[in-house]
Amino acid sequence: MVLLLVALVSFIIFRYVGNPVDNILGQEATMAQRAALEDALGLNQPIYLQYFDFLVSAVQFEFGNSYRGALPVAELILSRLPATLELAVTSAVFGVFFGITLGIYTAINRGSFISNFILSSSLIGVSLPTFLIGVLLIWIFSVELNWLPSFGRGEVIDLGWWTTGFLTMSGLKSLILPSITLGLYQMTLVMRLTRAEMLEVLKQDYIRLAYSLGLTNKQIYFFHALPNILIPVITIAGLQLGSVIAFAIITETVFQWPGVGLLFINAVYYVDIPVMSAYLLLVGFAFVIINLIVDLTYILIDPRLRDNQLKSER
Amino acid sequence: MKHPFLESDLYYNFKRTPIAVLSFFVFLIIVIMAIFADIIAPHTPFEPLTLNLLNGFTPPMQANEFTGTIFLMGTDDQGRDLFSTILFGLRISLFVGLMAVFLAMVIGVTLGLIAGFVGGVVDTVIMRFADIQITFPSILVAMLIYGVAKGLLPPDLRYEMSITVLIISIGLSEWVPFARTVRGSTLVEKEKEYVISARMLGLSYPQIMVRHILPNILSPVLVIATITFALAIITEATLSFLGVGVPTTKPSLGTLIRIGQDFLFSGEWWILLFPALTLLLLALSINLFGDWLRDMLNPKLK
Amino acid sequence: MLEIYNLDVNLSYRGSQIKALDNLSFNVYPGEILGLVGESGAGKSMTGLAIIGLIEAPLSISRGKIIFNKQRIEQNANAFRGSKISMIFQDPLVSLNPLRTIGEQLVETIRTHIKFGRKEAIEYAKSLLEEVGIEQERFDAYPHTFSGGMRQRVVIALALAPKPSLVIADEPTTALDVSVQAQILELLKKLCRERETSIILITHDMGVIAETTDRVAVLYSGTLAEIGKTFEVLNYPQHPYTKGLIEATPRIDANSLNSKLYQIPGVMPDLKEIPVGCPFHKRCPRYIKKCVEIKPPLLNERAACWLLDNEKGLL
Repeated sequence: MVLLLVALVSFIIFRYVGNPVDNILGQEATMAQRAALEDALGLNQPIYLQYFDFLVSAVQFEFGNSYRGALPVAELILSRLPATLELAVTSAVFGVFFGITLGIYTAINRGSFISNFILSSSLIGVSLPTFLIGVLLIWIFSVELNWLPSFGRGEVIDLGWWTTGFLTMSGLKSLILPSITLGLYQMTLVMRLTRAEMLEVLKQDYIRLAYSLGLTNKQIYFFHALPNILIPVITIAGLQLGSVIAFAIITETVFQWPGVGLLFINAVYYVDIPVMSAYLLLVGFAFVIINLIVDLTYILIDPRLRDNQLKSER
Repeated sequence: MKHPFLESDLYYNFKRTPIAVLSFFVFLIIVIMAIFADIIAPHTPFEPLTLNLLNGFTPPMQANEFTGTIFLMGTDDQGRDLFSTILFGLRISLFVGLMAVFLAMVIGVTLGLIAGFVGGVVDTVIMRFADIQITFPSILVAMLIYGVAKGLLPPDLRYEMSITVLIISIGLSEWVPFARTVRGSTLVEKEKEYVISARMLGLSYPQIMVRHILPNILSPVLVIATITFALAIITEATLSFLGVGVPTTKPSLGTLIRIGQDFLFSGEWWILLFPALTLLLLALSINLFGDWLRDMLNPKLK
Repeated sequence: MLEIYNLDVNLSYRGSQIKALDNLSFNVYPGEILGLVGESGAGKSMTGLAIIGLIEAPLSISRGKIIFNKQRIEQNANAFRGSKISMIFQDPLVSLNPLRTIGEQLVETIRTHIKFGRKEAIEYAKSLLEEVGIEQERFDAYPHTFSGGMRQRVVIALALAPKPSLVIADEPTTALDVSVQAQILELLKKLCRERETSIILITHDMGVIAETTDRVAVLYSGTLAEIGKTFEVLNYPQHPYTKGLIEATPRIDANSLNSKLYQIPGVMPDLKEIPVGCPFHKRCPRYIKKCVEIKPPLLNERAACWLLDNEKGLL
């Protein structure tokens, strides 16, 4: 449903925004040239047919050619997807892991000097625009210290259908700065959420009961409180994964990371409509998948939801 | 007799929270500097006639080797005084941010009120649309709208209209939180006696919505507006940094940082540092203040 | 067994300290059930939390001693929590961890305090469940599959599992259906009598006090108004507030049919505005000049009221 709507929006963009003919041929093209191109692009058919064609070809990963460079969009995106996914996953792991750890730490040691320090720096982290973090990291680690590369993926190994930077030293080194840039924002968000939820959960009666039963702090924090904060944290982390895709655009631009985001921003810049609409569809698809995973995780964690699920299936 | 505001918990807490006071005044100073940029700025960076290329790349607080002029924050490649450029850039950033928030607020509050008050199919359609939009990060939505708008405009207008387009894209990408909150509060207020009695008196829907419900739901709207303002400024800076924002002839903070990044490797660090610091200070002060405000007005977190 | 001397609990509000519990002293004897009664906000629950050491900011214990079996516990309640003193909270719907089975929660508590192997702990947990009236087969069930009354039974099992010598029950039946309340109270009473465990029963219900407790302490605005054997306090109340509470309790008998229920005039003062003198004097039908000026101490080891000083037992 969501996907269909997203598809409709991306189709409308694809079809009506900008004039592909103008974009390809320029203003001075002859009428004959224009007509030929319109035919070739299928712009003369009735509108619902065009939408149907669009859907069919979208399912088959056919998005036509990019206006610029005339390469098939699907090929362009597929060739750049590994770079983006590797970056997104690395940064998400980094962000969620440190976010939850620090969130719990600051909730438990509320008011301590270190917690306050972490919290105030996290606020700076939230306020800092992603691109600024990236630029500052480049300044410190690439320009001043000259430790890490400032752009690109480094050496990548081609696995046929996938190119990976995980296997080479320079690939891993190149991954560090972009991942931190991208992960920092998620980390602060997950951290603040974890902290807020933790504080909320620690006020619950079952925690008070656990205390009054003389359970140790460790038992209470890890076996009683932690599972109960996971649901909201996973929800937000899942939704954030969407923002990761968006912020990947920024990170990729700052670090000239050859991923889908960089492709998209160039498409916006040059009004390359097929690439834009294909990217939109891709993001919509990613969201649907992520939501699915999040829902499944809920059921794994919460027995109440498990029972509801069973009931509704009966 | 003291003003009731001075007696309120809000003001009491404000006085007691140094961070809130500090961030509020930092923000105030920044805004004043931006408003009076014409008076404060020592140079007029966008008048080509007053520029002297010999002044290019002067480090901050050092006399230029050719002209001997001293610039507080140094100059960029074209000899523009960075301090003045930043002041004017601030003005653009603040203006875009403010207008975008205003647009988002008008759209969000209107749709939220209608959705909450009218209910039924209208509610479903509006909120369904909001749900879908919110799954996409606002910055992505803004980029898309920006790209689409640019595609729709004839090429010769694209350049002139870019600030308007930017405001519209950011505004359209941020209305959902307003709509959601307003709808929620409207649903609550709708059931209260004063609304029911207003209905019985035969007041029209718009009258009830604007005169009776709206004043009662303003405080969450205020909080969201503050936070959205910070967000809008960051979004603007980001888009401009990516090169899809304001034109380089009218640089905002984001554009300045983009320019500054180019000179990072050649050692002219100040061209990057000062705009970046300004943006940081601005975003931080609004965020800190918004954070405090949210804590105060959200009893759940208290 | 438990002795409390001059306990003050402060609430810090806008930088100043407000007394939430004021000079509270009382004892709990082995095996007895002590009722703690009063209006909402009188400090009943706070007393319970103070004993078990769960007072949190902005509240703090500012003065006084809590002595358990000759050891002071107000500074390190951790060592006593669960093993010696445990607590039952008001709402069973939220006092069990929703994501873990009741079996897991029982076994965890047992193994924290008693050196049992896994098998022994499971056996013991099942026998406890049996005792509180829950079938052993439900050992692996999650809390949400139980009703409120059943969950409170589980909580009782949890509270008794480490074999404490004192259980603080904070309104254990308020959130339950009336028909279930008596069962739960009877169960708690029976199990504690068998184990010679003392109970501090916190409630606002005089009926519950009459049926369940051996002694009763009446709290008003954080101060002890009256304390004594339940029978004596209920039949011969010495403090006007106790008297009011008793008269305000609905009765079901032929005489009271259609008669108007007595109300204590006014409301309990806000903590910020507790008057000088006796905290109750503004609502008291019989206050004298002294009541307005000086706060009465506990007289005759029974009630904090100047009337006892003037005209002995005339109330």
